[in-house]
Amino acid sequence: MNLFGILDVSGSALNAERQRAEIVTSNLANAETTHTADGGPYKRQMVVFETKTPSASSFGKTFNGIRKEYAQGVTVQNIVADSSPPTQRYEPSHPDADKQGYVSYPSINPVEEMAELMEAARAYQMNVAAVQATKGMITASLDILR
Amino acid sequence: MSWMETPELQRMERFLDVAALRQSLVSSNIANVDTPGYRTRDIDFEKEMQKAISAPNRTPDPVVEEVSGLIERPDRNNVSVDRETMLLAQTQLQFQTGVALLKQEFKRLAIAITEGKS
Repeated sequence: MNLFGILDVSGSALNAERQRAEIVTSNLANAETTHTADGGPYKRQMVVFETKTPSASSFGKTFNGIRKEYAQGVTVQNIVADSSPPTQRYEPSHPDADKQGYVSYPSINPVEEMAELMEAARAYQMNVAAVQATKGMITASLDILR
Repeated sequence: MSWMETPELQRMERFLDVAALRQSLVSSNIANVDTPGYRTRDIDFEKEMQKAISAPNRTPDPVVEEVSGLIERPDRNNVSVDRETMLLAQTQLQFQTGVALLKQEFKRLAIAITEGKS
């Protein structure tokens, strides 16, 4: 693994955390959505992270020979829908109300979503710090040439 | 060994290699801070350096191990943010120190080449 490969590892995490933030914000945006294309209320989405060994480019493989890969990036393996039942609210005048007058709202807790959003943002910032550290090392090694 | 390859140069080179490897592991740990089941991995810096110095011509085969004694979360992930950020700063500075020493060694060679006239 060369220093540029380390940037890919941190980059994969930036990508994954950004996707997570996207999913969380769409959960927040749709906290009150009672009508979706599939019918029924919006379902809360969650990302599933998985480690991923970065695949070296063919150039990198040839260049490094059979050097073993130790670093592990991260990827979004799946996006799953929360299966918890929707919350029922009594609103008989609502167009999506059932016969008893109850409307199914997505079971989304905004506080929970905000906490996860902050978690994703902090993880993103930490990976940016890692990118900056690696960049510093690359710049330092370029200094040998001077 | 050619005349250019002084033991100091070799040692500094390996030092930079080990530091770069550690940086890749620290970056992996940070990248996987939210991956369920991920275990913190690291190398024993001193041991790897000793291996490199005692057998400078062998191809490096570092031992990457799981770090023990860290607090585990319910999802079995045990990445400690404090530990990784500290190591991030430490490894970066170590690497820069190595580069500075390497440059110094090259400068020394250059002085020899120019017979002391710089």
